[in-house]
Parts: sequence; C-alpha cells; structure tokens
Amino acid sequence: MKNVKRTLTALLAAGMTLSLAACGGGGKADGNLTMQIWDNSQRDAMQALADAYHEKNPDVTIEVQVTSWDEYWTKLEAAAGAGNLPDVFWMHTNYILTYADNGMLADVTDIYDDDTYSHYSEVSIANTMGSDGRMYGIPKDKDIVCLVYNKEMFDAAGVSYPDDTWTWDDLTAASAQIYEKTGKYGYMAYADDQLGYWNFVYQNGGYILNDDKTAAGFDQPATIEAMEFYIGLQDNDWCPDQKYFAETAPGNAFFSEQGAMFLEGTWNLLSEMKNYPDMQGKWDVAVLPKAPNPVSGDGRATISNGLCYSTSAKNQDNAIVMDFLKWLGTEEAQQIHSSYGAAISGYEGCEDEWVAAFDQFDYKLNVQACIDMFDYSVQSVNDATRPVWKSKVTDELLKIYSGELTVTDGLASINNIINTAIADGAAG
Amino acid sequence: MRTGSMQGSRRLFTVLTYFFLIAGSVLMVFPFLWMILTSLKSLGESMQIPPTFFPAVYYFNNFKDALTSLPFGALYINTGIMVFFRVICAIVFSSMAGYAFAKLRFKGKNVLFTLVLIQMMMPSQIFVIPQYEMLAKVGLTESHFALIFPGLVSAFGTFFLRQAYMGIPSEIGEAAYLDGCNQWQTFYKVMLPLTGTSIAALTIFTAVFAYADLMWPLVVNTDINMMTLSSGLATLKGQFMTNYPVLMAGSLFAMVPMLILYLIFQRQFIEGIALTGGK
Amino acid sequence: MSKQKTMVAKQEQRWAWLMVAPTIIGLLVLNYYPLIQTFLLSFSKTKTFGAVEFNGIQNYIDMFQMPEFWKATWNTILFCILTVPVGIALALLVAILLNAKVRFKGGFRAIYFLPMVCAPAAIAMVWRWMFNGEYGIINSILGVNINWLTNPSTAILACAIVAIWSSIGYDAVLLLSGLQNISKSYYEAAHLDGAGPIRQFFSITLPMISPTLFVTLIMRMMASLKVYDLIYMMIDQSNPVIPNVQSLMYLFYREAFVAGNKGFASAIVIWTILLIGIVTVVQFIGQKKWVNYDV
Repeated sequence: MKNVKRTLTALLAAGMTLSLAACGGGGKADGNLTMQIWDNSQRDAMQALADAYHEKNPDVTIEVQVTSWDEYWTKLEAAAGAGNLPDVFWMHTNYILTYADNGMLADVTDIYDDDTYSHYSEVSIANTMGSDGRMYGIPKDKDIVCLVYNKEMFDAAGVSYPDDTWTWDDLTAASAQIYEKTGKYGYMAYADDQLGYWNFVYQNGGYILNDDKTAAGFDQPATIEAMEFYIGLQDNDWCPDQKYFAETAPGNAFFSEQGAMFLEGTWNLLSEMKNYPDMQGKWDVAVLPKAPNPVSGDGRATISNGLCYSTSAKNQDNAIVMDFLKWLGTEEAQQIHSSYGAAISGYEGCEDEWVAAFDQFDYKLNVQACIDMFDYSVQSVNDATRPVWKSKVTDELLKIYSGELTVTDGLASINNIINTAIADGAAG
Repeated sequence: MRTGSMQGSRRLFTVLTYFFLIAGSVLMVFPFLWMILTSLKSLGESMQIPPTFFPAVYYFNNFKDALTSLPFGALYINTGIMVFFRVICAIVFSSMAGYAFAKLRFKGKNVLFTLVLIQMMMPSQIFVIPQYEMLAKVGLTESHFALIFPGLVSAFGTFFLRQAYMGIPSEIGEAAYLDGCNQWQTFYKVMLPLTGTSIAALTIFTAVFAYADLMWPLVVNTDINMMTLSSGLATLKGQFMTNYPVLMAGSLFAMVPMLILYLIFQRQFIEGIALTGGK
Repeated sequence: MSKQKTMVAKQEQRWAWLMVAPTIIGLLVLNYYPLIQTFLLSFSKTKTFGAVEFNGIQNYIDMFQMPEFWKATWNTILFCILTVPVGIALALLVAILLNAKVRFKGGFRAIYFLPMVCAPAAIAMVWRWMFNGEYGIINSILGVNINWLTNPSTAILACAIVAIWSSIGYDAVLLLSGLQNISKSYYEAAHLDGAGPIRQFFSITLPMISPTLFVTLIMRMMASLKVYDLIYMMIDQSNPVIPNVQSLMYLFYREAFVAGNKGFASAIVIWTILLIGIVTVVQFIGQKKWVNYDV
C-alpha cells in the first residue's frame, strides 16, 4: 500500500515537472533584464533607476513591467512554479516568507562587503528576511499609515484639525460633529488590516501575532478591546457600513468629498495629489490618533511596511543581476527613488528627498507628519503561514461586520484559524 | 364586423409589438448611455445624491487620465493581432478536421470526435495555469504568441464546421474524386469553398470570444504594453478602484474599435452568429 | 478490385489522420493534459510552488464536508435557474417580435445584439456602477433604496440580470434564424382553420423551432454552470455577500489562486465538470420528449 502511494506521488511529481528539465538554466547571461512591479504610479521612478544604471553599465538594459496587484501574485506564483521568475521583482511582506522559505529567492545577505545595510532601519531589514533570518531582498522603501482629512469639512463643522494630541475619543467626537454639521461621513473605518484595525490593535498594546510568531493575539484583552472599538465604529451614523465599502473604495469616497477622514498609506499620497487636482488644498495628512487608555505602551503605533527587490534563487551566481541589485541598495539609487515621491526610500536620510517631491504642488501637504511617525512604527504583521490564513481571517471579519457572528465569537474563530495555520505550517 | 375586429386586434398586436421592442431597446441601450454620461462627470459629481442625469459640468479629464494610464495604441494592436491569428488558426485547422470528421472514414473517428465534444464542456479556467507553465518553460510569455496560444485549435470550430460539411451531399466529393482529384484537392478545391458562409460565421464567433477573453491575457502578459483591451481594463480597475468616471472613459476607449467594426459589418456579424446555432 | 478498394480506404484514412492531427494534438496538449493534471491534482495535497503529495480522496471528503462548497453548488444551480429559463423566454419573445412585420427590424436587431461586441469587463463595470446602493442610477430611477450588490438576497439576482442582458441578443438572433426557416404556409393553413395567435404559437412555432431552442438551451446551460468572470467582476473579494453569490468556479478561483490550495480547487473543478456532464446527458435524454426533428 505504501508502495502504491509512493509510486503515485512520484508519478504526479513527474507529471508536474514534465518539461522542467528541458530548460534548466534560469538566469540570462545577456544584459537584458526585466523588472516586474505592481504599482503603476512608481513606474517612472523604476524607469529612472533602470536608466541611471544603464548609463553606468551600457551593456545592461532593464525593462520595467507593471502588473496590477492581484494578477501580480497569480502570475508570480505560476512563474515560480515554472521556474521562470523575472530577473528582478518587488517582494511584499505578505509573501516574502512563503517565497523565501520555499527556496525561491536568492540570499542577498552578503551582497555588500561594507556597512551599507547599517543605513537601513531594523524594521526595514526585518521586512526582507526569511524565517531563517537571512535577507532575501534589497530594502526598497518603507511606508507608514497616516490619517488623511478634509480641511473644508473640519472648518465647516468648527472642529480643529487632527494633531499629535488626538486620541481615539477625539476621532469619534470630531466625526460625530462633522456628520451633524455637514451631513458628511466622519472617519471611514473599513475592513482592512494594514490600513485599518492593525494600527488600533498595536496602539492599544495588543498584537496580531506574538513576538516569536507562534500564536495569534486575538485572545488578548488589549487586542479584543481595540477590535471591538474599531468594528464598533461602523455602528455610528457617521461611518458608512461594510456594504458601502464593498461598492465604494474609501479613497474614492474621500476624494469625492463624501467623508472627512480615512487611513492612507504614504505610497498613495503623491498620486492622489496628481489624480485629484481639484482637491489640492482641501485636504491634508496628520499622525494617527493614539489610544486613550492603552493596556500597555504609550498608545502610539502605526504599521510600517517595506518592499524589497528580489531575484530568483537561480540567479544566486548571476553577476549581472546581483550587481544591479547591489546598486539598487546604494544611497545614490535610493535617493533617485525617493525623489520621485511615490515611496519613501528605505535608506535612512532619504526622507527629505521624498518630502521635497511634494514641493511641485502649490499646496504644501504636511508630509513631514508621516516621517515623524517612523519613531513609533511597528513592523507589518507577517509569518510564513499568512497566505494561508489571510483570506480566511478576512472572511470571518466580514461575517462579524454582517452580523452573522458576534465580535466575541468571530475573534475567537479568527484566533483559532491563525493558530491552526501556524500549527499546520510547523507540522510541514 | 368580423374583419373589423380582426383588423382591430391586428392593430393592437402591432402597437404592442412596437411597444415591447422599443421598451426593450431602451433597456439595452441605457447602460451604454450611462457609461458615456458618467465618463463626462467629475468624480465628485458622479457621487452626488440623488445622481444628476446630464453632467452639470462637462469634465474631460477622465479621458486624459484613462489615456495616460493605459497605452491604448498598443492595446488595440495586441488585441487585433490576437483576434486575427486566433481566427486564422480556427479556420484552417477546424476546416481540415471538420471535413475529415464529416466525410472521411478512418479508425478512431468516434473516439477522437468525442474528445472534441467533451472539450466543450470543460471550464476554461482550468487550462490557465498549465498552459501558462508550458509557455513559461519555453520563455514565450509576454509575447503575441502567448495571446494566441489557447486559440491555436478550436473544438467548437471543428464541431461547427463538421456540421457544415455534413450538410453538403457526399456525391459532390465523390464526383470530384472520380474526376481525378486526390483527397486533398477534393477538400481544398471543391468542398472548402462550399462552406464560405460557415467560415464567415466562425470568424465572427471566434473574434467576439477572443476579444472578450479576460483571464488568460491577464495572467500570461503582464507587461502593460503587451496587454489586450480586456486585460487592460481590468488593470485600470485595479488602479482607479471605484473611480467610475475614469473607468467608464477607459471602457469607452476599449469598446470603440469593436463598435465601429460592428456598425459597419452589423449584418454579417448578426447573420454569422445566427449560423452558429446550427440546425 | 477489393485490393484497390483497401488501397483507397487506406489512403483515405491517412489523409483523415493528417487532417485531424493538428486539432487533436492541439486539444491533447492544450486541454487534455491540463484536464489530466487537474484530475491527478484532485487526489493530492498541494504545497506552495507545485510540490504535490498523493492523499487519496481526502480533498473530496473535505469538499463534501465544506458548507461553502454546497452553498456554491446551490448558487451555481440558482444562477442557472435564474438566467436560463427567463433569458431564453425573453430571447424568444424578442425573436418573435422581430419576426413580425416591423419597420427598422435591422436596427432593433442590432441594438439587442450590442452587448455581444462589448468587453465583458466594461459591461460588468457599468452595471456595478448602476447597481451601486448609494449613488446608483437604478435605485434613483426606481425610487428605492436597495443594496443590490451587497445584500445576500439580491446580489445573485443582480448578477443574473446582467447575464440575461448580455446574452439576450445572441439567443434572440439564434432563435430568429430558426423562426425564419418556418414556412409561412403553415401559418396560412392554421389561419384558415381559425387558430388564433396563441394556438399558432404552441402548435406551429414551438415545435418547429424546438431544435434551435434545444441548441440555445444547451449552450446557455453550459455557460451558466461555468459562470465565473461576471460574478468575479461584479462582486469584489471584500464584499461580505461572497458566500451567497460565489459560483463553483468562483470558489475554485479563490481556493486555487487566493488561498493557494490547488489540490482542493481541482476537486471542485472535477465536480463541476461532472455536474455539467450530468445536466447535459439529462438534456439529451429529455429532448426526445419535446424536440421535433421531423420538420
């Protein structure tokens, strides 16, 4: 019986990899590289990097390819399975552990023989690591989550603008006031992790995963309290419900002047300035409000994520690709990247270039507030099994929002889902 | 008296016929009208309660945003190439196979024809990843060939042209054969020209479905300059989320070439499709 | 003589094989190889990036125990029930109206056929926008306040409406061509016998058009049972209504591409193909009762 099983498994594996052998070599030896990214608003910055590198190395030409987020990962997974990963591609913390731990990515820990990596923050470096603590990408950028608000609505309601003294109570009070005075929505709290409840959980001293990533934190009082607060926001008249958000993205609601506040990632600010010229001057950004009575900590937190540039494990010895990656992590490259304003370079000291990119507009957005928040930023939540539990957690959360589950039952179920995934992952 | 009432009821029928046809036409056209009207509004105006019908201010920036986000020129060309070659492949290979299945005797005919029939029941989503892997292994993703690949052969086309050849009396072929044509000449010179209308129908059918294909082009060609109109639109949605004025402007750009072709060849389009229903 | 005959037959056979070869090879490579792969995968546990491990019928056991799976099966059947009979009845009505003596027949026909030449992505977008619960024009015109796409009881209905709207012209054109093949003399004879339009419809039109109706029915059924694109584009992943509207192929997509569970997803596909096969066989058996091929 065991033999049958083994034979079948072998047969299956053979079928799957039928023609893999036909094309062994992965990395190209010539100088034409492709770079795959998912954010069209960063195409110009990536092209500038490609051009700058080409100027130094006329033999190497890099072609930038843009895909939308969902298709990017569908495609990348298929490409990884087929042994056909692009030469250089962006990696996201949602997925890096899956790719790194399965041996798909080249180890770039030793790419520098100087102290280049010391110019990156611990969070930035951590965001490039596999579970083994090695680095599988060159840090590209760092981002945080900030509060975006509509000044006109605040003025009309006679509420002062958000600042660093704000707590959750100020957030709800201002929302109620704005709704009462203008009929517009206040803070638009929707079912999102990074741009939503994660921030509140960490502000309150709770956590999603414990430090060694062996257990979920949805059974912790601080986490439960923050989740109850965040989910409960939709019970207010001044906050649209999840049905609304399923049809209208919060950003679109904000820029069509339907609501006064929402949480936004720094990577979107520049394109929002560009895409909504009529709105320039009507809105600004502020630091996140803090938890009024945190279970632990000072009540401040914002989720900081960071992307990195990765390459296939097959390119471990590909000098051309490795040299390009190495260059991408230098101060020179990171400054070029920052100056395009879409994302803040991971290299410390490049923040000013990013802030300066906003000088092109007549209205000066208070983006310095975003930079200030790095002092208390929290690394984006991640573990090797996140791709397994991510969509299931979202499904449960949606059940809570639709009233199918109580908050207590829903959070217990979420906790269980994550812990089961971690246990399965550990079992292999 | 009797004829009078007959005429009355006939008139009533005529009125009802027009009423239903016109009401139905309004329902059919309205979404297109709404697409155009929305594309001319600013995001703010599009989200007013209650909605305005005609734009208060005509806002053309949406078209500019759509044009700067997608290289429509390349998308038109890619879509054209994909449609053209898928049509050619469908006609050439399906004509040959359809003729053989209809008119020639050979071993394995029933088994092979069953393969053709069963293929039509399979959901096309299951082909995506395996076909992608095949192309990836030979390094042919991000190419025009990749767009054509799943359409190299057509089970429906084979089935459809077999029906067409079945409708041609076998005596015609036999006569040609007696005149000294070999099998190929009989097919190519005598039988094939008799299926002209069916080939035209297959052309239109294949073109319409290739144009609508969404998932395959999205997965196989991710470079924005290698996309088709359908996959480009999906990318636009990923970028502009629920900013409908821009999405509608982009949709209009994507639809215009096909609409123009349709308006010119409207009769051929419809009559071609009518034939695919078979007898 | 007989020797020459076998020669001819052999030659015919060689030509036949040559002529079907491209299509058959293409189908084997493009479609049957993936099908076999899917079939094998459905008996295995898949790990990330294509690693597989045989695990017997575990996926099927899991599948049959999964409430979402049964819900998706029901959603698919419901979608089929909502779209096929209504869609074809409406298409038949349009075809009959167009077959009457009307002016601008070509114009009407062109209008009803319009959705066929539009990218489905564009169609889904504009309908989503019209169905929008807050800013949608449909609520505004009807003077109601329905969350069409986020309410569990209306979301699938909204999708069905779009499906019918998209396919009505195509079906009507097929049926119209069937109607036009019916000789006028039948109606004249019936008229002389004093049969009214309703009786004419049931005793002449319906039997005469039944073969075309059957083809349309089969095509529409298969398309409905495989539905995916439309629902995918109408209902986002963040929409709480997903469990109430996702079809089998949508569930397949979510399991295979979002959750990365290809083995389990493959079991769903095999089930879907079986379902389509059963429905098709039933249709072909059932047709003997109502489809009239004698005319």
